[in-house]
Amino acid sequence: VAGAVAGAAAAGWLYVRHQKERRQRSRRLRDLRALALGQGDFQLRDTAGTARSKADFLGRWVLLYFGFTHCPDVCPEELEKLSRAVELLERDPALPPVQPLFVTVDPERDDEAALARYLRDFHPRLVGLTGTPEQVRAAAAAFRVYVSAGPRDADGDYVVDHSVLTFLVDPDGLFRDCYSRSRTAEEVARSVRGHMDTYEPLPL
Amino acid sequence: AAGMAAPTMEERKACWGARDEFWQCLDSHGDDAAKCEKLRRAFESRCPQQWVKHFDKRRDFLKYKKKLETEGFHPPEAAGKS
Repeated sequence: VAGAVAGAAAAGWLYVRHQKERRQRSRRLRDLRALALGQGDFQLRDTAGTARSKADFLGRWVLLYFGFTHCPDVCPEELEKLSRAVELLERDPALPPVQPLFVTVDPERDDEAALARYLRDFHPRLVGLTGTPEQVRAAAAAFRVYVSAGPRDADGDYVVDHSVLTFLVDPDGLFRDCYSRSRTAEEVARSVRGHMDTYEPLPL
Repeated sequence: AAGMAAPTMEERKACWGARDEFWQCLDSHGDDAAKCEKLRRAFESRCPQQWVKHFDKRRDFLKYKKKLETEGFHPPEAAGKS
């Protein structure tokens, strides 16, 4: 009899602890949600000239890359990789679609038309964003992306030095991961899939 | 928006191809640029000047990196001896 009582007490205690952990996780997730809406936000324009902010992309997984169209090699390579990662994920019909996003770090030259021309060569659903220099600066800062335009040459041409990272943002607008130049498309797709598997929507 | 349009995909690939040919020539002539003048000119004509500078720096970096990997790091002698 003593054993049965001890067993019941233990089960009771475990249940209470489980409930407490659930409440704590719930509270933490609510705090994260409040943070997410404030952090990593942007006020930019897509290639149709429509204003877009992070709120427009909530409910979707986003893979976001900062670059510029006059980029010698890194940006086309990273965009190829990004496009391929999205394609790999698209092969699994059970997975939600991923939204590829490109934000320019060179708003002076990369207007809507320049972005549309450039992004045509990559994934068909890739959305390009530009804005005023202030808006772009704020977006880069929100993602802690380093941006530094180099000196202009005689033709007025220049390159922009910038952090090379692809960010994964979840449907709640929270950062989940970031991928450097060394990660392959397959690795990125695998990582995104892993995040999707463990994702729990934040409580409303 | 200022100046020229960004290179298209075709133009990028033409530039990278010219760069690769030039670099292959340098590789097979022990980096003797004098032996690869024609390819150098082709490279410069196919790529924006800013990209030529960028790729020149990249090649220097890749060579330096290779040197570190094969020879190891030797700190400069100038760091005073006791």
